[in-house]
Amino acid sequence: MRRYAVQRLGYGVVTMWLVTLCVFALLRVSGDPIKYMLPPEASFSDIERMRRVHGLDKPLWQQYLLFNKGIVTGEFGVSLRWDHRPAFEVFLSRLPATLQLTTAAVVFSVLLGVPLGVLAATRPNSLWDRLGRTGAVIGQSMPVFWVGLLLILLFTVWLGWLPSAGGIDRLGLAGLIMPAVSLGFYLVAAHMRIVRSTMLDALSAPYIVMVQAKGIPRRVVLWKHALKNAAIPVFTLFAVNFAQLISGAVITESIFAWPGMGRLLVESVFARDYAVVQTVVFFAAAMIVILNIVVDLTYAWLDPRIRLG
Amino acid sequence: MKGTGSEVIASVPPPLQASEVGLAAMVARVRNALRGAPTCSLVILALALICAMGAPLLAPSSPVVGELADALQPPGGAQHLLGTDNQGRDLLSRLIYGARISVTIGLLAVFVAGALGTAVAVLSGVYKGWVDVVLMRCTDAFLALPFLMVAVTVVSLLGPSMLNVILIIGLLRWMGYARVLRGEVLRLTEMDFVRLALVAGASHWHLMRRHVFPNLINTLLVLGTLELGVAVIAEAGLSFLGLGIPRPLPSWGTMLAESQQYFYIAWWLPVIPGLAITLLVMASNLTGDWLRDRTDPTRRQL
Repeated sequence: MRRYAVQRLGYGVVTMWLVTLCVFALLRVSGDPIKYMLPPEASFSDIERMRRVHGLDKPLWQQYLLFNKGIVTGEFGVSLRWDHRPAFEVFLSRLPATLQLTTAAVVFSVLLGVPLGVLAATRPNSLWDRLGRTGAVIGQSMPVFWVGLLLILLFTVWLGWLPSAGGIDRLGLAGLIMPAVSLGFYLVAAHMRIVRSTMLDALSAPYIVMVQAKGIPRRVVLWKHALKNAAIPVFTLFAVNFAQLISGAVITESIFAWPGMGRLLVESVFARDYAVVQTVVFFAAAMIVILNIVVDLTYAWLDPRIRLG
Repeated sequence: MKGTGSEVIASVPPPLQASEVGLAAMVARVRNALRGAPTCSLVILALALICAMGAPLLAPSSPVVGELADALQPPGGAQHLLGTDNQGRDLLSRLIYGARISVTIGLLAVFVAGALGTAVAVLSGVYKGWVDVVLMRCTDAFLALPFLMVAVTVVSLLGPSMLNVILIIGLLRWMGYARVLRGEVLRLTEMDFVRLALVAGASHWHLMRRHVFPNLINTLLVLGTLELGVAVIAEAGLSFLGLGIPRPLPSWGTMLAESQQYFYIAWWLPVIPGLAITLLVMASNLTGDWLRDRTDPTRRQL
């Protein structure tokens, strides 16, 4: 286990370093951040001064070293839009809202997707199963922003039940429902499909036949014995799904005015706040890498075939 | 003995002429190729393609200029079948031109991503060793990038335009191809015909071009079809945020973004473009699933 963990962590460090290289390359190659930060009517000397202040007059490799130094020391520059607060601090202030939203979306999708998948697997090709499968195909094709708009149209405009904008501090839990549902909508379909197919495999496995032969009630067989193994892919795919959730959060937070890091990114992009943009992108990537490692390690801990193989 | 040979030849029925194969055989071949095909999905894809190519001919009026007097008419009117938006622009015409944007960007982005991913996979699988290690680490790093965040940032730096949207989607979505195809390439290089080609002195370039790549085309087609939907959603998402196709071009994402101000008076503005995106994405997903089952029944899911 230790050897596997060390190897996996090593890979993680290499990946993280490559991610910094990717972020740096994509951001620097695609445009001049100074022109980005200053209004078009800025004078030439303004541009030169700004360039010196941000260290952008140095050669690219030195800039890259500075960028890495910033990451190690935790200095990501100051925000232009948010009263010159450190970019990292601005990012941290928005992080909890995104975590609330993504957690709520995952909980919603698991609570709905897993039981639907189990139901579909217990009665293959029944009406339930076919309805569920059709629903999953449609659900996976609907873009997250359309789901959000339809929810607003239905529950805010027509029924007037739920508020459509504001974040949890202002609206309480009622304000969390629609953003979480629209962000988690895609995952419901994904979870349903995975659980259905793994559950079908599990139900024909010898250990389940054995349990059934012992006369254990069907309910217990399904929800305890079979689901335990069938649910593992839901867990292992969590890291992949999380990357999707972060992308989805950018749009969901914009629609519902949710004060998280996705909305922070869009606001910063339009305010041309380069330091904050860079910080948000970097930490979102870091979160995905770390989550990948944690999932891999936990999985190896659960399943000896991985760590010994 | 003279003449025996020609008699033998004469007894063999003459090879079929192209004219004899004819229409019936052609129809049979097409029907066989389309066995079990999702008809609705193929029709939707064909419709989107026709709209994309013939937009100027098909659209009843201009997609960017409207009569303010006709603003916000509901669908079903004699003049405007799907209604009009706040500027009196015909929604059907905007939808048809929107199909042109979605299909163009979808296809080109898939092409860019597919080319990149295939190149990485083939290099990785044929050269193996440190090339493989480096390329796969890079693939992992790109997989860890939060797609939409990076896309939003890069497009805002480069400036919103069709080309930039295509490039950024292509540049951020090649990892799926690279991972799946690399497995295929590794499997192929273990097979006898590739080893024999190597023994016969084939160069790596010849090997990749003549023996490896042709065997990847099936998988590439399946992945490309499935990724088309992803690219369409990505473009619509970027445009929705105001960082994709510049206005007044009628991207479906832009149309949805603009609809937000008219929720209380015009339900058709958010509903119809979203429906168009969903149908196109669903059609390409279902077609991709079908192609996968056709080319490789062992990987059938659900």
